[in-house]
Amino acid sequence: MDKKQHDANANKKKNMVYYIEYYVDKYKIPLAAVTAVLLIVLPQVVSNQYIVTTAVKIGIYIMLALGLNILVGYTGLVSLGHAGFVAIGAYTASLLATRLGLNFFGSIIIGMVVAGLAGLLLGLPTLRLSGTYLSIVTLGFGEIVKTIAMNWDPVTNGTLGVKNIPAPSIFGYKLTIANNGLYYLMLVMLLLIALFCYAVYKSRTGRAFLAIKTDEMAGIMMGINVTYYKVLAFVLSAVISAAAGALYATLIGYIDPNTFTFDVSTLILSIVILGGMGTIRGMFLGAAILISFPEVSRSLMDYRFVVYGLILVIMMRFRPQGLLGWKSQMPYRLSKYVKGRLEETKQDSSVVKQ
Amino acid sequence: MKKMKKIAGLVLATILAVSVVGCGDKSASTSDESNGGGKDTLKIAVAGPMTGDNAEYGIGFTNAATLMAKEWNEKGGVLGKQIEIVQYDDKNSSEEAATIAQKIAGEGNIAGVIGHFASGVCLTAAPIYQENKIIEISPSASHPDYNVVGDFIFRNNTVISAEAAASIEIATKDLGKKNIGIISIKTDWGTNTSQIIKELVEKLGDDSIKIVAHEEVVEGSDDYSPAITKLNQAGADVVICAGMYNLVAPVAKQYKQINPDIAVVGFSNAYSEQLISLGGDAVEGVCFPVIFFSESEEEHIKSYVEKYEAEYGSKPSALTSQAYDSVGMLLEAIEKAGATDSQAVRDALAELSYTGVTGDTKFDEEGNVDKQFVKVVIKDGKFVKMN
Amino acid sequence: MIGQQIFNGLTLGMCYALLAVGYSLVFGILRLVNFSHGSIYAFGAHAALLFVSLKFGIVPAILLSLLLTGVLGIVIDKTALEPLRKKNSIGIASLITTIGISNIIQNLLTVYFGSEKKAFPALFDFGTITVGGIQITWTQIFICIISFALMLLLVLLVKKTKVGLAMRGCEQNAKAASLMGVNVNFVISFTFFIGGVSAAIAGTLISGYYQIVYPTMGYMAGLKAFAAAVLGGIGSIPGALTGGLLVGVSESMAATFLGSTYRDCMAFVILIIVLIVRPNGLFGKKGITKV
Repeated sequence: MDKKQHDANANKKKNMVYYIEYYVDKYKIPLAAVTAVLLIVLPQVVSNQYIVTTAVKIGIYIMLALGLNILVGYTGLVSLGHAGFVAIGAYTASLLATRLGLNFFGSIIIGMVVAGLAGLLLGLPTLRLSGTYLSIVTLGFGEIVKTIAMNWDPVTNGTLGVKNIPAPSIFGYKLTIANNGLYYLMLVMLLLIALFCYAVYKSRTGRAFLAIKTDEMAGIMMGINVTYYKVLAFVLSAVISAAAGALYATLIGYIDPNTFTFDVSTLILSIVILGGMGTIRGMFLGAAILISFPEVSRSLMDYRFVVYGLILVIMMRFRPQGLLGWKSQMPYRLSKYVKGRLEETKQDSSVVKQ
Repeated sequence: MKKMKKIAGLVLATILAVSVVGCGDKSASTSDESNGGGKDTLKIAVAGPMTGDNAEYGIGFTNAATLMAKEWNEKGGVLGKQIEIVQYDDKNSSEEAATIAQKIAGEGNIAGVIGHFASGVCLTAAPIYQENKIIEISPSASHPDYNVVGDFIFRNNTVISAEAAASIEIATKDLGKKNIGIISIKTDWGTNTSQIIKELVEKLGDDSIKIVAHEEVVEGSDDYSPAITKLNQAGADVVICAGMYNLVAPVAKQYKQINPDIAVVGFSNAYSEQLISLGGDAVEGVCFPVIFFSESEEEHIKSYVEKYEAEYGSKPSALTSQAYDSVGMLLEAIEKAGATDSQAVRDALAELSYTGVTGDTKFDEEGNVDKQFVKVVIKDGKFVKMN
Repeated sequence: MIGQQIFNGLTLGMCYALLAVGYSLVFGILRLVNFSHGSIYAFGAHAALLFVSLKFGIVPAILLSLLLTGVLGIVIDKTALEPLRKKNSIGIASLITTIGISNIIQNLLTVYFGSEKKAFPALFDFGTITVGGIQITWTQIFICIISFALMLLLVLLVKKTKVGLAMRGCEQNAKAASLMGVNVNFVISFTFFIGGVSAAIAGTLISGYYQIVYPTMGYMAGLKAFAAAVLGGIGSIPGALTGGLLVGVSESMAATFLGSTYRDCMAFVILIIVLIVRPNGLFGKKGITKV
């Protein structure tokens, strides 16, 4: 079945991107192994803190994109205020760490819970709103979170921001950029989140999300509780973004309300779109390109954000489905477990018929 | 359709190739420098906002540093090496600054950093410099917490309390006003400054002088009328304006529309030619304390201002001049130390006493400086000394 | 003091309304949130500044900048958005495109004009009058009059002219309109032109009011104006006016009673409340979900 699909595709469009994709898919396992080894040895090979920092930053944005992808890519709800969730996660975690001296891993979990609640709250308007109107509410949410962070001085320290956010530590061993600990922490978190997203995608929940994206009305007809799944998508997305936000706070060591502007929201959205909505590896590529671009193009000086804008425009003009977007247009592959169950029910029903 | 896809593929491939080549290029060039080029040039980094809302300050820093480097290079450089200024754009954001600090630390051949502009940004970058034993001299940071970060962290600016005291003195003694209104930008610096003003006024112990209202405004909004209306209602007869020139000018303009008699007092970071060009008639009579005054009669300042004007077409602002002296101090310290080893340079810098365009400078234990203030007022579209 | 603040808010609201119209018109026809509108507004203000400094005289300079900004609107549509429509791309692709364009315009302005705030000549600077304890500057009066007149003109354009009829036709059903002989692409270009011109007028008026111009000036103003447009019911000109005024006054009130630092989020707080009660905005038509 898969092979046929590939062949059909191969006959239809034989361009370079396709070939790259095709071979990547064919040699999935060895490639994944090579990538894993490369990623693990990277900080050992380049002992440059700046490159490691940038790598961690890319990792964080991949997580953010994976989080937003659940909303935009799977469920088809466009959020323009994701910076709000990032801010909630980053603020909650770093305030707990600095004020109460809570361990990073404890504070990140509380941060995720708080953001999840915020996601629940923001998901509620989906009961009444859809499309652009919903996006606007998320945009407003982002701005409101920023304003709260700016004005709630006794808690958030206002515009002074939160300083000296401690590095995470495991059993007294501090994870910093200098000893590459933060890098490996990022890898572990990234792996967990990516696996989680994959699991969601392959689950019943993931199929419900896809149904809502493709045709909400048909989804309702099939008995999907659309409201529940929309709110769930918001909550999952918020939780993942908050985790990434908390990691970001420890990476930079300082956050203030202006760290989480509308630009951050659009940057995350751009990564999702550029990489290819609804794919997981697209997020990796998208984040790698968009985050490293301003870094490698420092020589362009003032023009670099002009070029950045151009990339977005040209991408949308010629490849609106994103760099690795074709993947998501392929038929959804059911997992073996589900297939097995389907077979069973088929047999059952045939038994009943007989 | 097919063609489009091809084009898209090509475009993307190009982008990828460019970024990869870009990466490669950079690592190649840096290794070049550390091998060969590093011998006869000495690199000083200037980090500040080169783009964005506060770009004029960062560009001012670069201009001043380049000018100072040029003067030294004409004399034969320092320790026989030519001085090269490397510019880093932090967009005045803490995030960028942290990355840049790491980058500078990664380069490994930067003799010192002049910069970071805003106090909050400096506070993010400073721990990284301290950790990597890189000297940072900020020409502008005035937050009390800044040089507590460590012994490699210096500033060529007075701590804000000294400047705030001077501003209050102008408002109460020189202008003889009693009812002070404060308008401040809601940033690390602005909030802190307004708090210090309040404390200082309380300490004056004069019951007739009081703060009638304090309004905080956000950057990026040009409509200050609600805040101004409130200050005016509270009966302020002088407004201390804690912000850059881009706050002082519009506030003066909008305030004078409803109360032409209001007196406005600013801070030294508002001292810039831009203030007059932006504010026009409305900034007439605005006063502030500065540690550098471009109209000064002193010989070395005059020649510096002339040189700067010839090179860049405008008069140097206070912070630009503080950056100019910062570079001078760093170079002098390197020469005194006789090495570029950062520990030796740091020790020399701590001992240094330097006479520059922003007055005599000697760092105290914590790397702070104490300077004499000149009180300046705008009269007929020009900055003049107050009498 | 409250009267004064309300009046200040109304003036501000008039400016937002004028910007909101641009969002509204484009959204009405294309169902697209044009995120580059804020940058177009900044572009209009910079163009006016440039032409004024070339000493054409202030009126021709402003007219020229209006024309140029209108043309910019068309260019954006033709180069970036029309190809997407032809390919029937997903809506979000157009959204990202406008964000990209916004980036391009804003940063090119920074490159050529510098990022610093620049002085803009005062318009209608005839002093202040006091009515019942409220101080009103002539600039404020002119802003209100001009904005209102323009809004009226736009309503007439949409309701009474042939182009307006075509615009309404496209808004309801572009395909059907096309079958009836309406040149849809022309109508869209025309809408972008009007959007650009209204943004430039707003840019010039606001710059003349505050006498400040800088490349990122459209960022917050654009977001708030957009909120105003949705608040009033996107696609409706009276809605944009109401939304703009509501946002302006609420901002002024927030600044008075809560502090200036709260003002930026007021527009969104009201927006969210209104949308939850009335999902299509105050004046919005109820959409029909097609199955």
